[in-house]
Amino acid sequence: MIRHLIKLIWNKKRSHTLLIVEILASFLVLFGVMSLVTYNMGNYLKPIGFEYEKIWTINFSSNQDTTDVAGKMNLLYRKVAGYNEVESATRMSGNSPFSFSNSNTGISYKKTHTMSDIYNTDEHFAKTLGLNLIQGKWYGREDRVAKNTPVVINRATRDALFGTENPVGKVFDSENEDKWRIVGVVDYFKGKGEYTADKPAIFVLMDGKSGWEKTILAKVKPGTDANFEAKMIRELGAMAKDWTVEVTYMSDQRVNQHNFSLVPMIIFLIISVFLLINVAMGLFGILNLNIARRREEIGVRRALGATEGSIKSQFVGEMWVIAAFGIFIGLLFAVQFPIMSIFDLDPVIYIIAILLSVFIIFLIVTLCSYYPSRQAAKIQPAMALHEE
Amino acid sequence: MIKLTNIEKVYRTSTIETLALNNINIDIKKGDFVSIMGPSGCGKSTLLNVMGLLDEPSSGSVEIGGQQVGKYRDKELAHLRNQKIGFIFQSFHLINDLSVIDNVEIPLLYRPSTNKSRRDAAREALEKVGLSNRMKHFPTQLSGGQKQRVAIARAIVGNPEIILADEPTGNLDSAMGNEILNILLQLNAEGSTIIMVTHDESMAKKTHRLIRLFDGSQVS
Ligand SMILES: Nc1ncnc2c1ncn2[C@@H]1O[C@H](COP(=O)(O)OP(=O)(O)O)[C@@H](O)[C@H]1O
Ligand SMILES: [Mg+2]
Repeated sequence: MIRHLIKLIWNKKRSHTLLIVEILASFLVLFGVMSLVTYNMGNYLKPIGFEYEKIWTINFSSNQDTTDVAGKMNLLYRKVAGYNEVESATRMSGNSPFSFSNSNTGISYKKTHTMSDIYNTDEHFAKTLGLNLIQGKWYGREDRVAKNTPVVINRATRDALFGTENPVGKVFDSENEDKWRIVGVVDYFKGKGEYTADKPAIFVLMDGKSGWEKTILAKVKPGTDANFEAKMIRELGAMAKDWTVEVTYMSDQRVNQHNFSLVPMIIFLIISVFLLINVAMGLFGILNLNIARRREEIGVRRALGATEGSIKSQFVGEMWVIAAFGIFIGLLFAVQFPIMSIFDLDPVIYIIAILLSVFIIFLIVTLCSYYPSRQAAKIQPAMALHEE
Repeated sequence: MIKLTNIEKVYRTSTIETLALNNINIDIKKGDFVSIMGPSGCGKSTLLNVMGLLDEPSSGSVEIGGQQVGKYRDKELAHLRNQKIGFIFQSFHLINDLSVIDNVEIPLLYRPSTNKSRRDAAREALEKVGLSNRMKHFPTQLSGGQKQRVAIARAIVGNPEIILADEPTGNLDSAMGNEILNILLQLNAEGSTIIMVTHDESMAKKTHRLIRLFDGSQVS
């Protein structure tokens, strides 16, 4: 029967071209959306790797002030860390978690090379953000005197650069400094939120002399309120005249980052829903036309032994064949993505996206064609064949 | 083979009620060749549709091959049509989007069969009607007589015992019409039971038996 339906559709492919093109277009857009969804969901399923509740991001800007910025930052840090309401505080570069700024560099070990995000921070970072150390330790005060700058890497950096080797104690090259020495490995670290990839990251111990690190992350005690926030901003502002102090809650920054990840996905989703509605209307149109034009054929088939069920399956099946044509053409494009590793994504993401898109299209085609096909099956054969 | 008892068929629309068949009693034996005649609108097609299980009578009973079909449901009726009955229509009713051989295969699609067995049976049926050289053609490329021969091949491809032909020569000139009649006579000689509606007295004379209808009733 399938071969019969394929012939039937093939012989009148011209009248189905538009629908096939529509299905092709929806398949391609759906494939894009599903790749994005699969990618985001795959990321989402991995832990974010750090705490963000009750953590305040305090950004300082020295504006025109250039005198002893590093010294003033040290004082400001000591002031923040000294508050009773603050459990723990850490200093870092401006690319703090959920911020919209990035910093990365190329790193290499032996013949292996990769790109990694770089965070400059201090001894208190792991404790303040609750990072999970899986090898070695976080650097401490004593590591400042060592010859090579101590760093902590995350699991992704370790896997990319060292594979299964234990990296603790190893020294490797970076593009912006001569040598880095690894003292520990943390587990996951998705600095831009749950929906982003767990990319390679390196935490470099800052020297505290440059004054570059003008962000302080403070973990506050439960119950700390806006009164304290206002007091803190006032006192910090008084210490650093002409500077700007800005406090944001990390949980709010997280929501902003999520919107940033989710908005493209939502736009694509809307486009694909629109295209799918087009397909659905096209299907309804073709089926209604078919049923009106093909009453005679329906009558003959019933006379020759077709049951109501076989007429219904024939019409649904024809739409499946049309969908399969469109999808087949789309697959020629879609399979290039996993084959050629476009966008450097895991091929599994594309394969899942292809399967999801095929499933959704067949589901919609089935839903749209079921009712009209049942109507076709209900046509009385004697009426359909009636000739004056 | 076919037995109709007290058949009545009433068509009701919101405004009128048409008595298309009135107290019909017919018993057709295996191997018969019966022709049905009567003026236009007297119920010939309706009668054929009732015999062919395409239409349900308003009352009365239908027996096909000794089976009472009154209580049969769609599936069983479709099965009987597929196995026991072949239809031929005045306007052929071929599917224009399918080649000749694909058209002929259709009845076999509705029973368990393999691709090859369908091809072979369709080829054989087309040979019987003298069209084996037109298998890949499409219906629109054929003359009326050729189309009707395709329709006959389609009707006989599943080896039915009964052939119902509703004015099979109605759209054809007399030469082509006679060709078709000769094929039907040949099939009858090979054992098929045939019921044919016709307007042509000379054709009716070549069959075993003639039923005349007038306004839904049997007059002879
Ligand atoms: N589906 C139908 N609905 C209403 N009336 C019908 C229908 N089919 C046939 N009729 C009527 O039944 C009568 C018999 O029709 P039909 O059997 O087609 O006649 P014939 O084939 O002898 O020309 C006619 O009066 C026709 O108008
Ligand atoms: Mg008629």
